[in-house]
Amino acid sequence: MTNSAIATDALSKSYGSTLALDALSLEVATGEIFGLLGHNGAGKTTTVNLLTTLLAPSRGTAEVAGHSVTAAATEVRRAIGYLPENVQFYDTLTLMENLRFFAQLSGLHRPDQRIRDVLRILDFEGRDRQKLGTFSKGMRQRVGIAQAILHSPSVLFLDEPTSGLDPEGVRTLRETIVRLNTEFGMTIFMNTHLLSEVTKTCTSIAILRGGKLVHQDTLANTLADFPGEDSLEEIYFRLESEPVS
Amino acid sequence: MSSTGVIARKELLDLRRDRLFAVLIGFLAVATLISVGVAAASFRSQLDAYNLYVQQLTASGGTTVPAAPQLFPLQLLRGGVEYLEILGALFAIVLGYGTVAKEKYRGTLQLLLSRPVGRFAIPGGKIVGLAAVWLVVVAALTITTTVAIMVIGNAPLQAIDLVRILIAAVIAWVYLVFWSSLAIGITALSPRLSTGLIVAIVVWLAFVLIIPQIGDTMDPDNQVPGGLFATLHIQKSDELKVLANFAGFDGIRNGVEVSSITKHFERLSFAFLGIKDKYNQQPLGLVWADMWGYAITLTAATFAAVTFAVGVTTRRNLQRKIS
Repeated sequence: MTNSAIATDALSKSYGSTLALDALSLEVATGEIFGLLGHNGAGKTTTVNLLTTLLAPSRGTAEVAGHSVTAAATEVRRAIGYLPENVQFYDTLTLMENLRFFAQLSGLHRPDQRIRDVLRILDFEGRDRQKLGTFSKGMRQRVGIAQAILHSPSVLFLDEPTSGLDPEGVRTLRETIVRLNTEFGMTIFMNTHLLSEVTKTCTSIAILRGGKLVHQDTLANTLADFPGEDSLEEIYFRLESEPVS
Repeated sequence: MSSTGVIARKELLDLRRDRLFAVLIGFLAVATLISVGVAAASFRSQLDAYNLYVQQLTASGGTTVPAAPQLFPLQLLRGGVEYLEILGALFAIVLGYGTVAKEKYRGTLQLLLSRPVGRFAIPGGKIVGLAAVWLVVVAALTITTTVAIMVIGNAPLQAIDLVRILIAAVIAWVYLVFWSSLAIGITALSPRLSTGLIVAIVVWLAFVLIIPQIGDTMDPDNQVPGGLFATLHIQKSDELKVLANFAGFDGIRNGVEVSSITKHFERLSFAFLGIKDKYNQQPLGLVWADMWGYAITLTAATFAAVTFAVGVTTRRNLQRKIS
C-alpha cells in the first residue's frame, strides 16, 4: 500500500452466493476528486460501504487515510466524512441539535462555533433552530455535507450526492464539492450517475461493471485515450459494452 | 461528554418530541391516575361517612363510638402498580424496540455507524436514555398519585408511607428498564425489525399475562370471588393448616408464578406498599427479610437484560439492518 488517500487490494464482497464486488484494486491520490461510475448494481455503493467501514470485506484489503478498514476501523471513521445516498436526519431535532449530535460523536467537544463556521461555508446561516422535518431535499443534502465535514475529515465519501436534486441544487452542490477540495484540501470520493457532473468536477475516475473494475485513470488521460469519442458519456458506454477480461 | 452520554441525550431530546411517546405515556398516566383517583375518592367517601356517623352519634348523645374502618391509603396504589406491571411493561417494550427501529426506518443508522464511537456507546446510550426517560416518568407518576391520595382521598401520609412509596417507585423503575433493555436486545438480534417486535411481545404475553395467570388460577383461594377461605369463614390459622396438606401443589404453583419477572415486581411492590395483607403496617425490616430474594432476582434479571442488550447490539447486527 502507498501514501494514497484510498488504496484497495483485491477487495471483494459477497452477499451469500452473490459476488457484489470482485477483487477491486484501485488507488486514489491525496487531494483528488474521484468519481466512481457504473450502472445500478455495479458495486459502487458496496465499495463506499466497505471504505467507510459500514460493511466488512469478504476478502482483500483496503486502507483509507493510511488506516486499514478492518484493523483500524475506528481510525478510518475518525478520518472520513460520509454522505449516504438519500441522507436522513432526526426530524424531531433542529438543525443545530442534529449537527451538534454528529459533531460530538465525531469527537468535537464544544462544536457550536465549528457548526456555525460550517453553516457559513455552506451558505446556510439563520436556520439552526429549524427542525429538519421542514427542510427540502436540496437543503437536506447540504445538511448532509455539513454533518460530513464538521470534524474536518481528510477524505470525504459522497454516495450519489446529486440524487433527487434539481438543476440549481446540483450546481450548488458541485460548487461546494470543488470548494471543499480546493480550499480545505479534502480528498473526495463520490459515486454518481451524472456523467456531466463528473466531467465538471472530478480529477480522476474509475468504472465498475458487475462488481469488476474496468477502467481507472485521470479524467484528462481518459479523455485523451479515446480520441474517437466526443464525451465522457461516449467513453463510458463504450467501456461498459466491452467484454470484461 | 462521552459518546454514550451524547447518544443518551439525543434519545431524551428525540423522545420528548415524539408523538407516539407522548400518547403512550399520557395513556399510562391517565389510566394510573384514574385508578388511584377513583380508589382515593372511595376512600374519602368511607372516611367521611364514618366521621358523619360519629358526629351524628355524638350529637344525639351517644357515647359508644364504633371502631374506625380499617383504611390504608397505600393500598389505593394497587391499580397503579397493576397498570405499570402490564401496560408499563408493554410500553417499555415499544420504546425499547422503537429506539433501535427508528434508526433503520429514518435512515439515520448509516450516519450513526459511520462515527468513531466505541463498541458500547450505541447500546449504552440508548439504554441510559431510556432509563432516564423511565426515571422521569416513574417520578412524575409517583408524585401525582401521592398527591391524588392526599388531596382526593384526604388521607394523611406519614414519613414511613413516603419511604414505602419511594421504594415501590425504585422497584417500578428497575422493572421498566428490564423490559426496555430486553426489547433493545431482541430487536438488535433479530434479522428483521418486525420479527424483533413480535418476539418481544410474545415474551411479554408469556411472562406478564399468561404465566402469572396460570399461577393465579392454580391458587385454591382464587377459585371464589372474595377468596375461598374467607367465603367459608375459615380462620387464617385453619387456612394454613389446610394448605399445609397441599405443600407440593403450592410449591409448583409458586414455582410457576416466580418464573415470571412480573410476579417478582408485583410481590415486591405489594409487600412494601402493604397491599398484601400479610405485610400491611409491618416494619420495613420485616418486609425486607421476606422480600430480599425477590429484590435480588429482579435486579439480577435487569442486569442480565442490560448485559444482553449491550452484548447483542453490535455494529455487525446493526449493519445487517442496513444491507
